[in-house]
Amino acid sequence: MNLNKHLARLLPLVWLACAGGAGAADEVRIGAPLALTGSLADAGKKQQAAFALWQERVNAQGGIQVGARKLPVKLVSYDYQSDERRAQQLAEKLITQDKVDLMTAPFGSGHAKVVAGVAERYGMPIVAVSSSEPVHNQGYRNLFGTLAPSVGLVDAMIGHFKQNLPALKRVAVLGRDDVFPRIMATTLEKQAPAAGLEVVYSALYPVGSMDHSAALTSLKAARPDWIYVTGYTQDLILVRKQMADLGISAPVVTMITGPAYREFVDGLGPLAEGVTSATWWHWSQNNTGDDVFGSTAAFTEAIRARTGGDPDYVHASSAAALIVLQKAIEAAGSTDRDAVRAQLAKMDVQTFYGRIKFRADGMNDNRELPIIQVQSGKPVVLYPAAMAQGRLQAIGQ
Amino acid sequence: METYIQIIANGLMLGALYACIAVGFSLVWGVLNVINMLHGSFIVLGGYLAFFAWAQLGVSPFVMLFVVAAALFLLGFLIQYGAINRVVSKPVLLTLTLTFGLDLILYNFMNVVFEATPRRITLDLGSLGIGEVMLPYDRLLAMLLALAMTGILYWVLRSSRIGRAIVAVRMDRDAAALMGIRVNKVYAITFGISAMMAGACGALMAVVYPITTNTTGLLLGKAFTICVIGGLGSVPGALVGGLALGLIESFAGTWLGAQYAILIGSLLMLTLLMVRPTGLIGKRGYE
Repeated sequence: MNLNKHLARLLPLVWLACAGGAGAADEVRIGAPLALTGSLADAGKKQQAAFALWQERVNAQGGIQVGARKLPVKLVSYDYQSDERRAQQLAEKLITQDKVDLMTAPFGSGHAKVVAGVAERYGMPIVAVSSSEPVHNQGYRNLFGTLAPSVGLVDAMIGHFKQNLPALKRVAVLGRDDVFPRIMATTLEKQAPAAGLEVVYSALYPVGSMDHSAALTSLKAARPDWIYVTGYTQDLILVRKQMADLGISAPVVTMITGPAYREFVDGLGPLAEGVTSATWWHWSQNNTGDDVFGSTAAFTEAIRARTGGDPDYVHASSAAALIVLQKAIEAAGSTDRDAVRAQLAKMDVQTFYGRIKFRADGMNDNRELPIIQVQSGKPVVLYPAAMAQGRLQAIGQ
Repeated sequence: METYIQIIANGLMLGALYACIAVGFSLVWGVLNVINMLHGSFIVLGGYLAFFAWAQLGVSPFVMLFVVAAALFLLGFLIQYGAINRVVSKPVLLTLTLTFGLDLILYNFMNVVFEATPRRITLDLGSLGIGEVMLPYDRLLAMLLALAMTGILYWVLRSSRIGRAIVAVRMDRDAAALMGIRVNKVYAITFGISAMMAGACGALMAVVYPITTNTTGLLLGKAFTICVIGGLGSVPGALVGGLALGLIESFAGTWLGAQYAILIGSLLMLTLLMVRPTGLIGKRGYE
């Protein structure tokens, strides 16, 4: 009698456990370590907003088509506090304990590299939202990234600036000694001579620099007519401010990828005027695609409604990462890792973000990357011609 | 020649800002023997308060400086009185751990409330040009503030009643207590003054630097390096250490390249620890 009573009490628990187990099998689980606090929180929150928007849209349509069934999507995400070691631990947890089906990598080449390393160990396909060449040259089979190679950004800028200002001869390069900013600085240094540009100054500043006046004093003495600086927003704001303080200017001032972010323009005010950059995506593009957003304009409107501001490439690249995962699952007809990886490798789709086709190293092979310039307080597209909103304006002219 | 003058000017202005960062840190280390891990967050908090007062209410950061200083004094006083005083006479590792924990709370609080977006007061004041040499007004102001703060502190410690009490507590806590000094109150006031200086420095820095929670560790590291170079527990030492580090980074950055500026500063700190552990003007035997 007592035993029956105990069993009766346990029944609801057994039912709950079964229901939970069944539920877990009836959804597509995508893991996402996000930097929601700490130094990369800004980008992390953009990633989170784009992910949530995509998830809402997909689930409103009943989910992802997996074989014969439509399954809702569950994003399993954790805040790794912009801490590399925590990102690594949480990536392990997502794979081994939360049993996610597929993964996305966090913003930034450094952290993407760490998380992609964990995914590679477990054979887990992972799509990165912002990863540069040094992340993709590790021979990882499971890593795919929605950004195009940095060399494409540099080539587009050199070509466009030389075409519009043929007198450009002397370029000065100041780059942050960090994964993505370093590759952007060294790539320009390598590509410049072929375009008839002399590199008159070149230096890398260490992470944690609180002052650039020494480097800028040397740079000023080199008298460049193109000043090219790479770094993260707070570095770039400081460099631009100190350039003004020291009376340094040039017809072209490029800051990679400062003007792509609203906070760069807000943090500099009038000093942002005329600064150029290249970016991977701009909301004025007019792409259309077979995805939950349908067009760049629709995506832009959705982000504006959600965040109150214009989307930048982080929003777009994040949403694109989930779109390619969705496409790969649908093409594979399952969430099986090998099948999804095979579909990602041969992916070639048109989306609101543009064409996505992965190279052998997993980078997106997109070449038509926009060049932008801050004009009247807003980033304006200069190139490609199809989406140009203005012409290059030399600073001080 | 003008390039050399510019390098020296850059170094002195950077050094003054470094001194501004380190003065309060040095005071707490000197008097309380507490390595205050909250210091970087206090500076950033000061910067945020000044930024939001400017952005939302249009208050000039140079006016807000005094409000921020008063607010941070109160915060510092309460933290010392309510928390750190309970363990202040315990081994230094315990106070270090406590301030580390408090810093985590303040850091994460700022992350949640202000977010990590770099923000700057875009009040560009321009530069004073002497020939080819450019001296930005905001940096000059920071330099004057650092000198003024050090001067006032020096005067307070030497000539005022509370200053003598602080010095007495630093020299011998037990004897000071026997002389009727309320040691816990002196500790709280000292910590409050340190936080006040950090806050004022942060308010001024928001005009020059983008303020973000990302820089709290960096600012703390700078304060630590400057105190070791200048001399532990010595307020003028913070000024000398700051100026020395600023000049060294400026020359190293120009001659050897930007990537070596921080490295050379760290090498100087290590060398001093080996050959002159008391720092450039620290007192021997101070613990």
